[in-house]
Amino acid sequence: MTTVALLEARIEAFSYHGDDADVLHDVDVAAAPGTLTAVLGGSGSGKSTLGRLLAGWLSGGNSGQFRGTLHLRPSALRRDSDRRAAPGDSGPLVFHGTPDDPRINPALWSEHVGFVPQDAAALLSTVGSTVAEELAFGLENRGMDRTLMHAEVLRAADSAGLTALLERDPATLSGGELRRLAVACSAITRPGVLVLDEPLGSLDAAGAASVQAMVRRLLDSGTAVVVLGQAVDELALSATRWLVLDGGTVTAHGTPGELAGSPALLHSGVVLPALADDSPGPRRRTADRHPAPTGPGTENSAPAVLELDRVSFGYPAGKHQTGPGVLGDLSLAVRAGQIVAVTGPNGAGKSTLLRHVNGLLRPLRGAVRIEGKDIAGIPTGRVADRVGLLFQHPRDQLFERTVLREVLFGLDRKSGAAAEAAARAALTAVGLGDQLKAHPHELPASRQRLLALATVLAREPILIALDEPTVGLDRHGLVRLDEALGAAAERGAAVVMVTHEVAYARATAHRVLELRDATLHEV
Amino acid sequence: MPAPLNTPAALNPLTTLAAAVAGAAITTAVSSWAVSLAVALACAALAVRSGVAGRLAPAAAVILAPFWLSLLVMHGLFFPEGRTVLADWGAARVTAEGLRFALDMGARTAAYVMVFLLFSFTVRVPDLVAVMSARRVPPQFGYVLASTLTLAPAISGKLARIRRAQESRGLVLGGGPLRRLAAVRLQMVPLVLSLIEDAGERAQALDARGFNGSRARTSYRDVPDTAAQRAFRAVALLLAAAAVALRLSGQWPQLQGPQLQGFAMLWPLGVPA
Amino acid sequence: MSQPSRTLPAPGQAAVRNRRLLEILGAVSIAATFIFLVLTQPADITNGLAGGSTLVALGGFLLGAILLIVGVLPTLPTSTLVLIPVALVLNIALGQIMGSTGLPFYFDAIGTVLIAVLAGPAAGAATGALSSVVWSFINPTVLPFAAGAALIGFLAGLAARYGLFRRFYLAPVAGFVTGILAGVVSAPIAAFVFGGTSGVGTGAIVSAFRAMGDTLLAAITKQALISDPMDKAIVFAVVAMLAYALPRRTTLQFAFVRRFNVLAGKKQDAPDA
Repeated sequence: MTTVALLEARIEAFSYHGDDADVLHDVDVAAAPGTLTAVLGGSGSGKSTLGRLLAGWLSGGNSGQFRGTLHLRPSALRRDSDRRAAPGDSGPLVFHGTPDDPRINPALWSEHVGFVPQDAAALLSTVGSTVAEELAFGLENRGMDRTLMHAEVLRAADSAGLTALLERDPATLSGGELRRLAVACSAITRPGVLVLDEPLGSLDAAGAASVQAMVRRLLDSGTAVVVLGQAVDELALSATRWLVLDGGTVTAHGTPGELAGSPALLHSGVVLPALADDSPGPRRRTADRHPAPTGPGTENSAPAVLELDRVSFGYPAGKHQTGPGVLGDLSLAVRAGQIVAVTGPNGAGKSTLLRHVNGLLRPLRGAVRIEGKDIAGIPTGRVADRVGLLFQHPRDQLFERTVLREVLFGLDRKSGAAAEAAARAALTAVGLGDQLKAHPHELPASRQRLLALATVLAREPILIALDEPTVGLDRHGLVRLDEALGAAAERGAAVVMVTHEVAYARATAHRVLELRDATLHEV
Repeated sequence: MPAPLNTPAALNPLTTLAAAVAGAAITTAVSSWAVSLAVALACAALAVRSGVAGRLAPAAAVILAPFWLSLLVMHGLFFPEGRTVLADWGAARVTAEGLRFALDMGARTAAYVMVFLLFSFTVRVPDLVAVMSARRVPPQFGYVLASTLTLAPAISGKLARIRRAQESRGLVLGGGPLRRLAAVRLQMVPLVLSLIEDAGERAQALDARGFNGSRARTSYRDVPDTAAQRAFRAVALLLAAAAVALRLSGQWPQLQGPQLQGFAMLWPLGVPA
Repeated sequence: MSQPSRTLPAPGQAAVRNRRLLEILGAVSIAATFIFLVLTQPADITNGLAGGSTLVALGGFLLGAILLIVGVLPTLPTSTLVLIPVALVLNIALGQIMGSTGLPFYFDAIGTVLIAVLAGPAAGAATGALSSVVWSFINPTVLPFAAGAALIGFLAGLAARYGLFRRFYLAPVAGFVTGILAGVVSAPIAAFVFGGTSGVGTGAIVSAFRAMGDTLLAAITKQALISDPMDKAIVFAVVAMLAYALPRRTTLQFAFVRRFNVLAGKKQDAPDA
């Protein structure tokens, strides 16, 4: 690297209030103009904390204790655009973890280092009634003249590909559009450095491509971009430099070519592209004890665990613009021990389909049968005794004070005295056996998903239904999920999952179907 | 509830606010059930004209119907100060004074409710926030107002999601009141937790985007104003001030009515009647 | 500090003093209005509620609430400010639900008390007052009660400051006392502005006291002394339960919680965490 880094961070140690252990220690990051740095790490590696620290969100002693230095140099990008004199290089800010540490002014810091958190919606002010006003929010706060502001908003919208959406309500944007809006909101003050936390997380292919194109444009304009991620995706592969973060510290750094296949990367929880390989790899399940039936009408003596019989469903007109029928005359049978994956683009109705299996949604026509019995009229809470449904947002399902109590909840009603043993076994199965006393909401996102999985597994349901199980899971988590599903199928449970990741579906399921035009097609 | 964004708002929000405040103040100062009812009806007519009657009517009914019922029972049947007894069933006594009191109060509150609902159902909150920030009202106030209205549907969506997730975990909703209460507790915990966590994240995002109120804000949104509206606001507020001053100074022509005695009796420092 | 341009200076003293002055003026306005209402000739509310007392009650309490809001809001850190809209949605949603059940409780202060426990008395008072102001966009009748709501937030913050939330059983006691004070302050509003209470349940209780010959203010005050302390005791207990369900990392983000050790009992609750 020939250019001088705009931001150099040296983190000796950082810990949150109330935690004894350091979340980060001995991490060095440098961001040079026009370069893309990918910080790769599994769940709980401390990468989100690192992003916040670089963004100046955690200094000042309100969140935790920080020892180290942050060194910001003026960017050529800003000297051109900013009419006020840019502050010269006045040396690094030094933090000792004491109350009289310098307190970063986040408003001024963000003019140099922009940050987009993992949950892009968190960046939105909630007071902008249109996309244009949301973009203008940061400029309004800086007292910019209205004429100039209009011009800046148009420029930012153009570079984010949001020009056609300027008058839309931000609450109605799709995932990819929302992510681009959040990046544009951070980039509107033309910071020299942009830090993006999981910019492609939970986006489908089209959404991911649009965000990637935007990052490319920012790099071309000379912005230094730091991407935090837990998967080696296309964006990471195009990076100038990788840092592998594991257990709160950097275990390897270098170019993507140097690090691909390195032990440090393998040891970290980073999801590797091999998993996303399109060809059916060795992970493909072969031990299907029940030969996959060729169609829903196949004759078989034992009743299917789950049977959707010519199910039709449509949301009330006016609430959704997706057309009158989301599901039309859809049939599906899943047998004991079988794993079925349903794929399809966002908005095809995958989640709608999944919500029928435990009665959260009821079909307009047709029937849903569990072990041959129609569930019409049975409340979801009762169907849940036999059907475990896992949602995309694990936080919604967790409400207890400790991990163990979470799994125990409602279990004694079902399992009686054996409840505690069943709960511990389920937690061990997902790799949380050593965190029984942790607060569920303080776990990293990946482990929250596994905990939610454990609450389902402990009840030994006859059918396990999963909504986008791969989202937010790191490689260790994916392995645990895979093992757990394999064990459940082994014990005779049926598994049905919906996912937008076709490669994962092929690698994991016995049978892959695509939801298209309101009905299922064999893939 | 904010008006839909696409309806053209001809009036500056300050004008409708001034009209609402003046209307409520003058109605209270005049204190006559006929005037109150006239104001309430005028508001209803304006609501029909501006196309918000469909949303305003149920909102007003939900507030006023139980209130009127409560007043009718309270004062219609139990009005110990009443002299003109129309019917007597022991403890309960229908008096002309009680009915008159209920009518006065019911009409005045109806006018007050209609005036302010008409304002809030026709105002465009982003416009209101923009004019307030131009008038040096602390930007935090506009933030709280606009953000609450944005968050309300988002939070009810979140609650629905939590309910679905918990039902899928085997929570049977419904049953007796105690079971319902327990279910509410289980829903409150993840709801409040995630709301507070989201809010913490948003706070840092707002700080980074320069929202700390230390610098004078400008506004992206341009809210038109006219000289005529400015004049109207001045006149309306002056009239309201005059009416209030007249009432407080005791110069208002008194209407004859029964006197309620002994309100100060509860208070040790009460002034003798 | 080597880089004054990117780091924050210590907060200015003069600005803080000005804000404090507004807060004190707001509190004085509320207290003076209350004392005035109790001491002045309340007999004039009879004939058509001829508005002297009504206007004083409305004007004085609202002025006090607005001064409090303007004084406190700009001093709040953003992390507290973003919680206020969340608290308001909780207040309004629960308040609307409770109002529709007909039970003589309100439950419309859970958000306010939660903010007070996490961020202190000033934030609690501002939240309470703002809650009434924003809620009045869908139910204007709550606007006059802004001062009472501010008092609840303030007292809840004081209770947290002096450690009453460190023991689970002390929280409802603090709520009970808060309810007594808040009820007494709000009763004149119900009596002088509305001539009764808006709920059917509360109305029935007032009617019962009226049937025994109480004056209107006395009956409403007694009703408030029945409903409010119970209601606030429940609300404080619910908030204590929520505060202890929050992860430590979340609660410790708040300087008020750290400085006054508001939730010290938590350590004994989860020693392994």
